[in-house]
Amino acid sequence: MNEKPVIGSRRVFMTGNEVCAWAALAAGADIMYGYPITPQTDIMQYWTRLAPKYGRKFLQTEDEISAGFATVGGVIAGKRAFSATTGPGNTLFQEPMSMAEMMRIPTVVLLPQRGGPSTATVIYSQQEVTMTTFGGNGEGFRVVYSTAGHQDLYDYTIKAFNTAWKYRFPTFVLGDGYQAKMREPLTIYDPAERGIEMVKTEPLVGLPGTPGVDRPVQHLRNTYNTEEELYDVVMEIARDYEKAAPEIIEWQEFDTEGEMDILILAHGVVSRAAQGALPLLKDAGIRAGHFRPITLRPMPEEQMRRAAAKARRILVVESAYGQLLKLVKEALYGMDKPIDTLLRPGAGVTAEEIVQLIQEGR
Amino acid sequence: MRIVEAFVGEYASGKSENAINRSLELLRQNHKVTLVDLDTVEPFYTLRPLKKDLQALGLNVIAWSPEETMGLGEAGSLLRQEMIWALKNEGSIVLDIGYGVHGAGIFNLIEGAATDPDLKVYAVVNTARPLTAVKEDIVSYIKELGRVDGLINNTHLGDETTPEVVEEGARIVTEAALELGIPVVYTAVSQELAEHFAATDKMGNPVKIIKRYMPQAFW
Repeated sequence: MNEKPVIGSRRVFMTGNEVCAWAALAAGADIMYGYPITPQTDIMQYWTRLAPKYGRKFLQTEDEISAGFATVGGVIAGKRAFSATTGPGNTLFQEPMSMAEMMRIPTVVLLPQRGGPSTATVIYSQQEVTMTTFGGNGEGFRVVYSTAGHQDLYDYTIKAFNTAWKYRFPTFVLGDGYQAKMREPLTIYDPAERGIEMVKTEPLVGLPGTPGVDRPVQHLRNTYNTEEELYDVVMEIARDYEKAAPEIIEWQEFDTEGEMDILILAHGVVSRAAQGALPLLKDAGIRAGHFRPITLRPMPEEQMRRAAAKARRILVVESAYGQLLKLVKEALYGMDKPIDTLLRPGAGVTAEEIVQLIQEGR
Repeated sequence: MRIVEAFVGEYASGKSENAINRSLELLRQNHKVTLVDLDTVEPFYTLRPLKKDLQALGLNVIAWSPEETMGLGEAGSLLRQEMIWALKNEGSIVLDIGYGVHGAGIFNLIEGAATDPDLKVYAVVNTARPLTAVKEDIVSYIKELGRVDGLINNTHLGDETTPEVVEEGARIVTEAALELGIPVVYTAVSQELAEHFAATDKMGNPVKIIKRYMPQAFW
């Protein structure tokens, strides 16, 4: 049996789904539970090819509801467990993931978004933002990283396990079908060699000692009797979430140092179009900047507001019909900034399209 | 002379890119060429979106057009009857096969594949892909594929490819080929790096300069 899947670090050429499987291996994930759906299936396929070589496990369940609950169960048993799904599969995952939210189960789910609503396309979108950040019946106590390419997929898949286990919130890596299938070089590495220590996992039930005598009673509940009882629990989760949020939030800024004619807000792979648009806009004499939230939940609100304050207008660009827009409006509430939009549900966005829209709006 | 070549191999190893380049090379040598997309595994990243462009260059392309398919990626890929009878085309034929063992299984469905006297099956290998990065893994992978008559060293890192990356791939692929007892048919070098290469790589394998068409293939 091979010990470490990745030794040292090296430059490689892969598809995004392959990256996810390698990252989960490098992160020391013990088991993946899953049910196939394009464009996620290759994550499972690569995992099942690689996992046996390193003593890791896989279970294919009968559907996504089971995959989600099995992931919850694996984590409760103390395993660094994860799953991956997309689109209508993500819809079905919301029930087990809201259970994870209630019971503080550190699940990790990788989500290469496909088109929606429903089965729609197997290809691409950013239409799972609302569902992933605030899905399920509950309050959205979860962490969502939005990736913009293969290095991100590797880095944030590893990080997702640590965020989940450190803060005990379900954590999602939100990619998309473009990233899943596209090929580009990246550096894969052994987290230990980068000084990344994987947060130790532990069983959440079946602990040693007598409950109530040697240790507190461990009673994982997703069911409560009265309103007051539930209220206290949810408010405690809310306080924990608010406290952790400043440590979890991540973002990137491009050309936002000075005054801007326009600030482009985009996340995920669309951020790359925004980044590509900046030099073109500069050539056209337009002072443009770009703010990319990496965590969509919690949202780096203060940082976004600071950047927005320096811009005359805001442009929200996304491959959805206003899902990032909703989060942006919430973050910027009360600011007097006109917001323009380039909303392309289920379709890609190019740098040139962003530039054209901005130039037409002048 | 009738040339019939099939490109098989690991996912994202460069099968379509090499199949396209080989077809166009044969066309330049005045062959009548049929290029067949036999990727029934993958709904994305096939040569389908390039069909019209390649036809305009003079190739006979047998492939679905994206707009002809229904429920792309959900409903399974159907074989067109022209695909099943692809080897009956006049002239030379290049087959772009879906990835992996299941992709290579398509030969069972192609009329005459088992008995075609001219058919050569080449496996495309990129050693910058971790699953085929070392000799042992390449050898065991190729053995799973069934019939393979030669290897193609297609080692690259996309836009970051250097001559050293290609040569290191040539070394590993050549070692694997020796162990498998089959030749390295050629080392593929992107045209941007052409000036760094002579007619052969450092292992003595022929160098073939290729142009990258697949970055234009959006689904």
